[in-house]
Amino acid sequence: MEGEEDYGFSEEEEYYYTDDGDSHDGLADNDDSALQWAPPKGSTTKVITKESLLAAQREDLRRVMELLSLKEHHARTLLIHYRWDVEKLLAVLVEKGKSCLFTEAGVTVVENVDDDVPLSSSSTITCDICIEDASSDNATRMECGHCFCNNCWTEHFIIKINEGQSRRIQCMAHRCSAICDEAIVRNLVSRRHPNLAEKFDRFLLESYIEDNKMVKWCPSIPHCGKAIRVEEDEFCEVECSCGLQFCFSCLSEAHSPCSCLMWERWSKKCLDESETVNWITVHTKPCPKCYKPVEKNGGCNLVSCICGQSFCWVCGGATGRDHTWSRIAGHSCGRYKEDREKQTERAKRDLYRYMHYHNRFKAHTDSFKLESKLKESILDKVSVAEERELRLKDFSWVTNGLNRLFRSRRVLSYSYPFAFYMFGEEFFKDEMTDEEREIKKNLFEDQQQQLESNVEKLSMFLEEPFQQFSQDKVMDIRMRVINLSVTIDTLCQKMYECIESDLLGSLHLGTHHIAPYKSKGIERASELSSCWNTKLGSTDEYLPSGGTSEHDRPSGSGSSDDSGCSYRKRAKKEGGGFFDLNLPAEIVDRN
Amino acid sequence: MIDFARVQKELQECSRDMESSGIKVAPKSDNLARLTGTIPGPISSPYEGGTFQIDITLPDGYPFEPPKMQFATKVWHPNISSQSGAICLDILKDQWSPALTLKTALLSVQALLSAPEPDDPQDAVVAQQYLRDHQTFVGTARYWTETFAKTSSLGVEEKVQKLVEMGFPEALARSALESVGGDENSALEKLCSG
Repeated sequence: MEGEEDYGFSEEEEYYYTDDGDSHDGLADNDDSALQWAPPKGSTTKVITKESLLAAQREDLRRVMELLSLKEHHARTLLIHYRWDVEKLLAVLVEKGKSCLFTEAGVTVVENVDDDVPLSSSSTITCDICIEDASSDNATRMECGHCFCNNCWTEHFIIKINEGQSRRIQCMAHRCSAICDEAIVRNLVSRRHPNLAEKFDRFLLESYIEDNKMVKWCPSIPHCGKAIRVEEDEFCEVECSCGLQFCFSCLSEAHSPCSCLMWERWSKKCLDESETVNWITVHTKPCPKCYKPVEKNGGCNLVSCICGQSFCWVCGGATGRDHTWSRIAGHSCGRYKEDREKQTERAKRDLYRYMHYHNRFKAHTDSFKLESKLKESILDKVSVAEERELRLKDFSWVTNGLNRLFRSRRVLSYSYPFAFYMFGEEFFKDEMTDEEREIKKNLFEDQQQQLESNVEKLSMFLEEPFQQFSQDKVMDIRMRVINLSVTIDTLCQKMYECIESDLLGSLHLGTHHIAPYKSKGIERASELSSCWNTKLGSTDEYLPSGGTSEHDRPSGSGSSDDSGCSYRKRAKKEGGGFFDLNLPAEIVDRN
Repeated sequence: MIDFARVQKELQECSRDMESSGIKVAPKSDNLARLTGTIPGPISSPYEGGTFQIDITLPDGYPFEPPKMQFATKVWHPNISSQSGAICLDILKDQWSPALTLKTALLSVQALLSAPEPDDPQDAVVAQQYLRDHQTFVGTARYWTETFAKTSSLGVEEKVQKLVEMGFPEALARSALESVGGDENSALEKLCSG
């Protein structure tokens, strides 16, 4: 599934992501677009790649630099100390003042540059570490005023970097908490171990991901190398540009409306249950007539055994063949009925309860998987239909309907583990009386059932061979699909409202964070523009001699020429040294 | 690689003012990576009058990594393990600075003896006693100092003799005593642990 609607348009006119394969389903002229889609809004969730990592932190760095008139490395030290939380940093500034802010973070700002004078080239100093004399050429005075020989500094830096402490290398003097100037570290270390200097740079840059609660690595396996940055709400679901959708809060698969806590228990429970139970309940259903195990191979829940018997895939009960997509004649099984006879056998009851929810959860996840395969065949149908000389040219309703189906199928399947815990005893045993529980369960199951039947209907219409139908019939299906999509969207919204206001209430939303429902599906993080208009002058006093020589980057103030950008980035990468920490923000911004 | 030139200088520096500080550092063998430090128990503390031996092992990164220090003499103190002699002291861990030396580190250990920090204990039993029953704590600490940290008035030959009487071969007893700096109890411990 891909969330390919018309979001991704950035308000800042930045580079945005559109997949070529999806570009035909723009929704602007669609009937339901006005009803269904909010006006295009920039995706605030960003993908951060190796290449854009520096640009991603630039804004925070620049803010701090401007506000406190600091150099970049000081701003970085401050931000690392305050875990990239600019608001927190400013709060400390207001509360405790500048000097306290600096001291706590280990920033020493030398007001007077004359301190450097004692180190004239002819003088020698005695290094307190190795207790040897060193000429001032071979010694370095840190901003805190402490001076040691370069050999000792280098040794110190190497050990700290290897200890994984690159982000906070303190001065060697006892009880001096000043953080060493990153340029000096880079410069000295690269003379002896260029690889280690690179590692140092990477650690420093990746602090923006490691130490920042609003940025997390994409949990893809194998790792795609990207990180995701969210704005404001860290309890959300996102899609990385590698295609992986995940819960930003707990980094497992997207599981809303299940809370992270519930999902953690649920996935553990599913793992723990014995293989036999799993195999029996998950993969097959015995035919109620011939008892052969039957595997489901299509989206509909009315399954026919080869012996001719029809039965409901969800509950396994025999049914007639007479059915609509949403209902099997004379059959209803969406509710969990407690078996009073077996109430004494608690363990057994619990297992049945689990199986009830698990079966439904699994049924919808399986349908979801099968329907995902269906996507291609439906797209084929669309192209066939488009060839035909029909009055109706626009088939975007098919893909829109398909996306609605995927999204709601997801919501539906994860609503079962949610219900399992919501109406179970694990979390909310003492939170409500049995009566209340029953009422709430009914309320929720009503909604679930409504959603379920509409989702099945939608699935049915989308599986119709509409490319062979007459024009009127196609128009009819189109209307139905569009209407169903709207209904389903509303039902999903209602279900989330019910969860938030009637079921969990404000009290439990604190522990059970649930990623909000999004009509447009899980937000796909947009690529962060890394095309910074940079032109490096030779003014960089900290630039080590081995710095990168490729400083001219495409200009054009962040216009969305992404292809050019990525091309250049790739070229740069091949040339080695993909990080360019050596570009101070002042210089970047001057242009 | 250990900076042996610096270790040499440290040892010289230390022996120069041994009279005033009372702090002694000596290599255990030819290898400068393993040393023994000796500190006198601080005055007006339960450790007064005792002489405490500390095993020092220098890591490869010394002086950029902290030396490993451990009490060889048994001591009753909230921040020192009564079992292993392990020391809980910030400058021996994350607060180490290459500008510190073995002597300054030992001075800090000495300071720790007179000013325990029971809120950050190494030995929970001792720390609890220190907080709840200070009187008993002082008594125990003094007794341990008396028993383990006082150089016994016996001469080396008498100590060897005592160990031989306990059933250890003379040569073994002598070398054990030498290796622990003449402390009878440590020698016995060494002999027993094989």
